[in-house]
Amino acid sequence: MDKIEQNDGTNRDELIMQQQREIEKEISDSTPLVSEQLPITCLNAEYLGDEVFTSKIQDLAGKYKFLRRTRPDGNCFFRAFAYAYLEHLISNKDEYLRFKDLAEKSKDKLVQLGFPSFTLEDFHDTFMEVVKRVDPASGSTDQVCDELHKVFNEQGYSDYVVVYLRLLTSGKLQEEADFYQHFIEGNFTIEEFRHQEVEPMYKESDHIHIIALCTALGVGVRVEYMDRGDTHVKAHDFPEGSTPKVFLIYRPGHYDILYPN
Amino acid sequence: MLKIFKSKKDKLPKSEIITCEPQVTKEPRTKCGKPLVLDNTRWERRLHKELMSLIKEPPPGVTVDTDSIGQNLSEWKINIAGFEGTLYEGENFQLLFKFNNKYPFDSPEVTFIGNNIPVHPHVYSNGHICLSILTEDWSPALSVQSVCLSIASMLSSCREKKRPPDNTLYVKTCNKNPKKTKWWYHDDSV
Repeated sequence: MDKIEQNDGTNRDELIMQQQREIEKEISDSTPLVSEQLPITCLNAEYLGDEVFTSKIQDLAGKYKFLRRTRPDGNCFFRAFAYAYLEHLISNKDEYLRFKDLAEKSKDKLVQLGFPSFTLEDFHDTFMEVVKRVDPASGSTDQVCDELHKVFNEQGYSDYVVVYLRLLTSGKLQEEADFYQHFIEGNFTIEEFRHQEVEPMYKESDHIHIIALCTALGVGVRVEYMDRGDTHVKAHDFPEGSTPKVFLIYRPGHYDILYPN
Repeated sequence: MLKIFKSKKDKLPKSEIITCEPQVTKEPRTKCGKPLVLDNTRWERRLHKELMSLIKEPPPGVTVDTDSIGQNLSEWKINIAGFEGTLYEGENFQLLFKFNNKYPFDSPEVTFIGNNIPVHPHVYSNGHICLSILTEDWSPALSVQSVCLSIASMLSSCREKKRPPDNTLYVKTCNKNPKKTKWWYHDDSV
């Protein structure tokens, strides 16, 4: 290869990587891992003068009272899901107990599926610690909600929760590989997909991640899709026909939490 | 409305190796501006656990050079032997692992060191390794042991001993730290 051309390439790529780092830094400086509750209309500021989105925000505001933003770092689905579901459990004691039991037993299941127990253990322990810290019996609803918010904004805990949910998702994909293989195109195996698109941090989630996680935990999720098409937001429930406990809004590339009226 | 996942296998099978300036690392901070200590004890505890497991039950051909390990566990040397029946039978190699306090969220920095760097299409003569789990496919659930196994398997499946095609240029221009290289991953068949 010609030397000058190579040098040009070097500079261009350095600039791209530099810019990528600046964007990441700006995001982590300006957005908490999980925000406070915000009015739905706070979205308007991002779409000024855009008729399609403005009308969709209005539509959304008719059904939901608040929105809670998550940091757009590729982990947003997992973080939003975990926060919203644990928050739901704070006022649903029986379901909390069901989930705690399921979460407790999930480690052995993953080990049986072949996940190395000694790396898994740390993530499971921290996950259980978080689950126990938001036990509805540990205080008033407000106190427990505050605790949840605090713990999810501590990276050391929040990211461990994300990792554990990624592993549960990966485990489900492996357990029902024959089924999930249909959603993957080409020569990409479930194995490769799990290792490249599910287990690493910061990799974005698709329908297949959502279905696998919801099925693994027995939790219904409603996602409101807000994009350029149509005039109304479109809701989709995972798994289909379930009663949603977690409500999320999806805008291309990102998930935030919603609170129904 | 299920979306089909697109295969990424049509990525170019080339190694356009481009180095970048050392990254200015800033300690992470909490919302109120206090430096966030990313649980120092936790990363050390995890490394300690991994070390004990590697010493007690090492995978075949892998031995930890325990003398090389410093007080805070941030650098390890690991010996790895070429398997019988492969092109590297009878050869011994040494890997250097470096960890920072964001491990296992940050991948370890792994290079071959010493005077025998394996001649392999994914290993540069300066010891840098082109292996996706060391950068973009790293997961916190992986470990030193799984990295060693991947490297051993990469060596074992090699059919022709040769350097990467862009070895000379890369070695001349790269950053010392292979994680500062924007790698294009070669196909996995070798």
